[in-house]
Amino acid sequence: MTQLLSKIACFVERYNFTDPREENALQNFRFTAEKLGHEFSFMFKEKISDIPVYDAVFIRATTDPLYTAYIVSKTAWELGLRVVDDPESIKICGNKVHLYTLFRKYGVPHIPTIFLTKDELHHKRLVEIFKEFGKPVVLKAPYTSFSRYVEKVACETSFREIAKRFFRKSDVLVVQKFMPTAFDWRVGVLNGEVLYVCKYMIPKGRWKHGVKLRGKPTFIWGRTVAMKRENAPAKLKEVALKACSIIGNGLYGVDIKEFGGEYVVVEVNDNPSIYAGYEDLRNKDVYEKIIKFLVN
Amino acid sequence: MDLLSGVPWVLVVSNIDLTTNVPIVSPSTFLGLSIKDFIVNINNDYRYLKIGYYVSLHAETLGNPVIPASGNMIDANRTPVFLLRSSKAGIPTMPYIVTGSVKQIISEVGFPVVIFAVNPFIYDGFKIATNRSSLYRAMKSLSMNYKFAVCAIPLRGEMFSFKSIFGKCELEGDFEEVSEMVYKVFKIPICKLHVQRVDGKVHLCSLQPVKREELTPSDLRLVSEEIFLMSRHGDPVIV
Repeated sequence: MTQLLSKIACFVERYNFTDPREENALQNFRFTAEKLGHEFSFMFKEKISDIPVYDAVFIRATTDPLYTAYIVSKTAWELGLRVVDDPESIKICGNKVHLYTLFRKYGVPHIPTIFLTKDELHHKRLVEIFKEFGKPVVLKAPYTSFSRYVEKVACETSFREIAKRFFRKSDVLVVQKFMPTAFDWRVGVLNGEVLYVCKYMIPKGRWKHGVKLRGKPTFIWGRTVAMKRENAPAKLKEVALKACSIIGNGLYGVDIKEFGGEYVVVEVNDNPSIYAGYEDLRNKDVYEKIIKFLVN
Repeated sequence: MDLLSGVPWVLVVSNIDLTTNVPIVSPSTFLGLSIKDFIVNINNDYRYLKIGYYVSLHAETLGNPVIPASGNMIDANRTPVFLLRSSKAGIPTMPYIVTGSVKQIISEVGFPVVIFAVNPFIYDGFKIATNRSSLYRAMKSLSMNYKFAVCAIPLRGEMFSFKSIFGKCELEGDFEEVSEMVYKVFKIPICKLHVQRVDGKVHLCSLQPVKREELTPSDLRLVSEEIFLMSRHGDPVIV
């Protein structure tokens, strides 16, 4: 029996095409979908009203409950379409307070974390935090993505300064123990299975994968070292799958630190980066698996 | 959970001073508690990332029934999602398009048109454009220089904005009916509704938060009364 053609909309914004590695990945998705007999169209925000004519929506624009991507996701979901990323995943992964609350509830090993409300931004509480986690600590806005809105602070003055900036948008912030490593594992997960594994190297002299240069608008990123998913440590994959199981069965990128022989989850991201020649380097079936998931 | 038979323990988490016999705690206090109760989250602002959102999220994580649900807060404050879900629930709504294109609004909606922001930074009010230049001005402002999409709704009648408190409002007739229906779907205790009356019929346009100073003593009395009733009889809509 011939499989019926499916119409897939890939929701993108202009910036998705500014990096050739991402643009190539998007073209790979289109090529793969068409090879499998499906129609694959890029949908920009001007065409959101076309959602009902599609069978599935694949979101590549940055997701957040406050961004247009959430409206696309929720609209598709309400209309009964298969959608990656689904609204619930965006809701959970888009807010790190929500994410760590679930980690805590379901026993997912994660970086020691506490939450801070505006009322708690006072000397006594900050002393307690530094006493508990040592110096420096990591201050994270719940809406962080692409290493932005995550800062390392070593004194009360800079803590207050950065916290006040993050509090402009969110009334609760995340404070974490600083755990420096040479790289973060990135495990791509789709529908409860490992899709790809790579190492996101930390640039020399820095502490996170993506760093904004002082006074310049550009980011510098550490190298991405891909490996076959079969060759990745079993315990790593187990931790990644456990972290995703409390969120849903969509597409996720799990950041994990290996510290003292243990794996601790840094965060789970919906809408993970997929760049041609990077995440897909050792697992070429990434595109096919995602397209098949969208149309099944 | 069946709450028709009454709720033995109601905990009100509020950022507003209320006069009620039901126990009340502040949002920041509640975030540090692990209480198992039915939570009524009273706040003038239920936007995503604000303290009211975290109160409901915390209650849900504890496994408590709570109004409003955190998911409803997100959806209610995203105008296109709000209209889609309202429409599915049978509430009369205005047609809308989500777009970042002036040309598309002109060709598909025409003039006059009501523009609502769909971006992370602008959450109150709307702009009415009656011609091309006023539409460009509205778009530039509400799309934050065309960075974000907007929600465009045709203006076919008269716009009304009013407070809805537990689904009750000061206006009568169709307005009251729409207000009650919105509460049944989203269960946002305090909000402002924007509607359009077209040929005598009220159509929903948007929901937005209420500023603290907009709440009058009679609004606060109404909130207190509703909480009192809820603590005695339960919230009849939750089954």
